[in-house]
Amino acid sequence: MTPSLEARSLVKRFGALTVTDSLSIGFERGARHAVIGPNGAGKTTLFNLLAGALRPDAGQVLLEGEDVTAAGPDARARTGLSRSFQRNNPFPDMTVAENLETALAIAGGVGRVFWRGFGHYRSLAEKAREIAGSVGLNMVGDTIVRQLSYGMQRQLEIGLALAAAPKVLLLDEPTAGMSPEETEAMRHLIAGLPRSITVVLIEHDMDVVFGIADRITVLDQGRVLLTGAPEKVRDSAIVRERYMGSGG
Amino acid sequence: MTLRLVTLAVLIVAAGASWAFSGFFGKDLLTEIAILAIFAMSLDLLAGYTGMVSLGHAAFFGVGAYGMAAAGSLLGLGGLPAMAVAVAAAMALALIVGVFVVRLKGVFFIMITLAVGQMVHAWVFRSEALGGDDGMGGIIRPDLGTIGLVLDDPADFALFALVLAFLSFLALDLVARSPFGRLLTAIHQSESRARALGCPVERYKLGAYVIAAAFAGLAGALAAQRDYFVSPEFLTWTVSGEVLIVVIVGGMGSLLGPVIGAAVVTLLKHQLSDVTTYWMFFLGLFFVLVVMFADRGLYGALRRLKRRREAAT
Amino acid sequence: MALTDPAFVAIQVLNAFQLASLLFLLSVGLSVVFGLMNFINLAHGTLYMVGAYVGYAVAQASGSFWLALVLAPVAVALLGAILHWLLLARLQAANPMKQVLATFGLIFMGLDAVRWVWGSQSHGLEAPAGLDGSVTLLGQTYPVYRLFVIAVGAAVAVGLYLVLERTRLGARVRAGVDDRDMAAALGIDIGRLFFGVFCLGCGLAGLAGVVAAPVLSVYPGMNMSVLVLALIVVVVGGPGSLSGAVIGSLLIALVQTFGQVFAPALASVAIYAAMAIVLLVRPGGLIPLKGRS
Repeated sequence: MTPSLEARSLVKRFGALTVTDSLSIGFERGARHAVIGPNGAGKTTLFNLLAGALRPDAGQVLLEGEDVTAAGPDARARTGLSRSFQRNNPFPDMTVAENLETALAIAGGVGRVFWRGFGHYRSLAEKAREIAGSVGLNMVGDTIVRQLSYGMQRQLEIGLALAAAPKVLLLDEPTAGMSPEETEAMRHLIAGLPRSITVVLIEHDMDVVFGIADRITVLDQGRVLLTGAPEKVRDSAIVRERYMGSGG
Repeated sequence: MTLRLVTLAVLIVAAGASWAFSGFFGKDLLTEIAILAIFAMSLDLLAGYTGMVSLGHAAFFGVGAYGMAAAGSLLGLGGLPAMAVAVAAAMALALIVGVFVVRLKGVFFIMITLAVGQMVHAWVFRSEALGGDDGMGGIIRPDLGTIGLVLDDPADFALFALVLAFLSFLALDLVARSPFGRLLTAIHQSESRARALGCPVERYKLGAYVIAAAFAGLAGALAAQRDYFVSPEFLTWTVSGEVLIVVIVGGMGSLLGPVIGAAVVTLLKHQLSDVTTYWMFFLGLFFVLVVMFADRGLYGALRRLKRRREAAT
Repeated sequence: MALTDPAFVAIQVLNAFQLASLLFLLSVGLSVVFGLMNFINLAHGTLYMVGAYVGYAVAQASGSFWLALVLAPVAVALLGAILHWLLLARLQAANPMKQVLATFGLIFMGLDAVRWVWGSQSHGLEAPAGLDGSVTLLGQTYPVYRLFVIAVGAAVAVGLYLVLERTRLGARVRAGVDDRDMAAALGIDIGRLFFGVFCLGCGLAGLAGVVAAPVLSVYPGMNMSVLVLALIVVVVGGPGSLSGAVIGSLLIALVQTFGQVFAPALASVAIYAAMAIVLLVRPGGLIPLKGRS
């Protein structure tokens, strides 16, 4: 079976530093695939290469078997690849509802309509309410995002990524900076995502990783150190020794 | 929302009243304000909504003015077709230039638009067909006799400019409220997010650039008609600068702010030039102070006033 | 005809070098400040104009060009310090856009201020004794003063190179341009660095003004064409680097000079075309900043 998303021999250098070193990795359809590794292992760079925010110096990215290496992030998004950001990146001066409606308008391709008001598209508002509910933001639809708590903005990150109706969802440290309660809520949220979506997750919180992932890849210095089922990774001597000492 | 409607109503009543009760000089001033308002609203769509602060918007104003003159005196077209040519010429230039400039952001965008503006000025200044630094005359105003308007009459021409300003507001307001306008705002607030959601950002910016150019071209065509004459003066950097001042003083991203700004700056300029020949100094000072202390502009101040009164009651 | 005449070409190359020298003096400060703070001073051309006027005034009053050559840059650097204190320091917390717009307002103020003090007519400044003659090069006479302009630009370029590459201060500036956050984390006071580089850049703009005065005339509005050329140099050369400013200045000066000789109608458009091509092919300029393209 062709993986949902695949990287083949990706190379990315910043000056003399090789951040992604001939890296190959496949994400199976419907998988809950976590990518872990120490800071500087190249996780976020890999994400940016997969999402199209960075261009690789060599190698290919395949989305549903199709070569999208040359496509920009917007083109990849239109073919079903959606992402959240490590730092909250919503439309800060819009309300939560407006954020989601805007995302839906982009995904639905109505953005080029300039001859009638946004209010004409009522179905977007309904759909936005639905998504807001599914990420636990139904009470704050009319709040300007800038005034939202950090944790709620983090939830909106997921909501925005979901609004694009993705086949593959890239989540960049969804629980970063969250309180234990917020982290737990986020874990629930991700665990409850439809199985039709392939979820790729960068995460530091090992409880979240082992609570959600059915497959884990360990990155180290821009290379894949190990890929396997959670038990296998947990039991791996090298991982225990290097990363699990304090974390979990 | 209501503040918007009240402001709009006040502006319409004020424009109507000053048109009805002013003399020749007043109507001339009103025409000038209406033209500047169209020009400023067009820049607001770019700078206020999309976040593309251009310092070369005079290029499209000037091309509109020269388009009007050339269509009349070189192609022999009537007033209304000439205006259509003027707007089309501005849009065509925006399409060509825009392909390059929309890739640049922030300060780089400011620099390249300033350079493009200077380039168009330099080119027109040396163009023999367009009269070089002597400029061009022979401009005719549209014939609207069928609806009882004689545009060569200053009162009727002022009315024409005011109506066009109002229609331009309606059109740009619709664009701003449309899904397209919403995406422009989204791009302004987070370009990377809009892109990650699948928005081809450059294409939308190009769209905004061309629409803004169309209305700047319309303003230019009207300015050419007002003077019956065009010159490279229409294309200088001070024209681009003044219109940006108008937008910022009035309040970016509101469309009504730039209309208020157009009225305030035009009146201020006339008052100042009565008192001193160095009015540009004070206009520049006023602008620096607004940027430093009131960057939401006059309309932003109105908004804050309203919010404070609501909070008090 | 002309391209086959080596003497003519040589003269034009010298003219281009002279323009490049002025453009370098103007753009290097702009460029390094931009590299440090993402801020571009749109009133930079105005400072150049003020430098020319102050130079003119000092030379008129004292009769000494050399005194003007020293005092004008100092005066303009002081003006820069005042601007920084009044305007930029207060806007630094806000985004660079506000700073840029504020300096735009200064262009309007500068234009009328100069008109008010010195009038609208243009003034000339004589080249000093010893530099007012001409030499014969390949059978053509060439004004000595223009060679002096080239020498000033070259001397400043070498001086700046030595400071940037050989001193601790220069290393700090380079670190700040490379990665502002990293430099700040290493304990470099970016704000003070910015202040210093900004004032030095203003002083160099003033120097460019007074040096240019005997070649070009001094008039209100002399700032704008030069500002746009300097911006193009910054964009083409790539912001933040000395070598970028040198290469950009030479390129733009050559295109401008030879364009004006061979196709005057196209010359003014040619430099913008050069900029557009560079921006398309290398969006970060010829010498782009690392990791910030």
